[in-house]
Amino acid sequence: MFELIKRLFQSEPTSRNQANERLRVVLTHDRMNVSSEVINQLKTEIIQVIARHFDIDGTPEVNVVSEGRNAALDINIPIKGR
Amino acid sequence: MDKKLPESKVIVVTSGKGGVGKTTTVANVSSALARVGYKVAVLDLDIGLKKLDLLLGLENRVIYDIVQVIEGEIELKKAMVKDKRFPCLHMLPAAQTRNKADITPEQVKDVCEQLRPDYDFIFIDCPAGIEQGFQNAIAAADQAIVVTNPEISAVRDADRIIGMLLSAQFDDDDIGLVVNRLRPEMVKDGNMLSIDDLVEHLSIDLLGVIPEDKNVVISTNKGEPIILNEKSAAAAALNNIAMRISGKEVEIPTFQEESVLQKLKTFGRKFFSTM
Repeated sequence: MFELIKRLFQSEPTSRNQANERLRVVLTHDRMNVSSEVINQLKTEIIQVIARHFDIDGTPEVNVVSEGRNAALDINIPIKGR
Repeated sequence: MDKKLPESKVIVVTSGKGGVGKTTTVANVSSALARVGYKVAVLDLDIGLKKLDLLLGLENRVIYDIVQVIEGEIELKKAMVKDKRFPCLHMLPAAQTRNKADITPEQVKDVCEQLRPDYDFIFIDCPAGIEQGFQNAIAAADQAIVVTNPEISAVRDADRIIGMLLSAQFDDDDIGLVVNRLRPEMVKDGNMLSIDDLVEHLSIDLLGVIPEDKNVVISTNKGEPIILNEKSAAAAALNNIAMRISGKEVEIPTFQEESVLQKLKTFGRKFFSTM
C-alpha cells in the first residue's frame, strides 16, 4: 500500500515531459539554424576567452534561452574580485 | 447566390509534414462555411498527388484541372466542380499527371484574383513539404492555417513552416494553429503533448482542436464531409473552426481538464514540496 502511494506521488518524467524537453532544444536550434554541437563549442570558446582575461570564480554558464520565437544567449560568468 | 462578405479571404492550409489532416481540414471547414451560405472555392494545389476530390466525394465529377486553366486550355469557371450537397461550394481540382513545377506562384495569384469577386472564402490545400508546391500555395493567401498533430515530428515541421510563413507575407495575426488528432485521455496520463504545450512551443494563436475520432475514417470511406455527422466530436470541432473563421466568437474546446489521478499527482507534488 505504501509502495503504491509512493509511486502515485513520485514525479517520474512522463513521455509528455520528455517530448517537451526535446522539442524545446530542437526548436531553438532549428530557429537559430545551428546544431547542438556548435552551441556547445560556442560555450567552450566564450568561457575560454573570458578566462584569458579574468579569473573565473565558480561555475560559468552559457545557455540559449528563448522567449516566443526569439532566442538569446544567456551568459553568466562569475569573476573573482581582488 | 451572391457572396456575403465585401472582402474575400484567401486562406492556405499547410503543415510541412504530410498526413496530419490538411485536406480533411480544408474539405470540412469549407463545407461547413458553404452549408451556412458563404460562397466558398477550394483549390487543390497538391498537383500530382491529389486527394481533395476524394475527401469531398467529388472524384467522379472532375473533368478539368488547374493546370489546364493556367495553360489557357479551359476557362476557370468551367473547370470549377460544383458540389450538389452544398451549392455554395466549388472545387478547382489538381492535375494528377503533372507536377508542382508546372505552375508558378504568380499564376496561382492570378487564379485567386479572378475568383475573389465571386467567393467569400478561397481555401488552398497545400502539398506537404517546403518546396515549389508550398511556395505556389502560399503566394496568394491572406491568411494561413497550420495543421499539426500532438507529436514531436509534426510540431517540428509546423515550426519550420511558421518560420517560413513569417518570412513571407504573413504576420503573427495571420496564422492560426489547428491541432488535429488529439487524444485527451493520453494527455491526461502524461503521454501526449497538450494544447498548452503546443501553443507554447509554436507561439501562434490557436484556431481549433480536433480530437481523434474514428468517424473521420468512416466519413472519408464514404466520401462524405464529416461535418454532417451530428454525433461526431471531430465534426463539432471542425464546425467550431469554420465559425471562428467566419468571425463568430465561439470558445475553443481544448479537452484539457485534469483527470482525478493527475489532480492527485499534482496535489501530491505540491504537498510534498512544501514540506
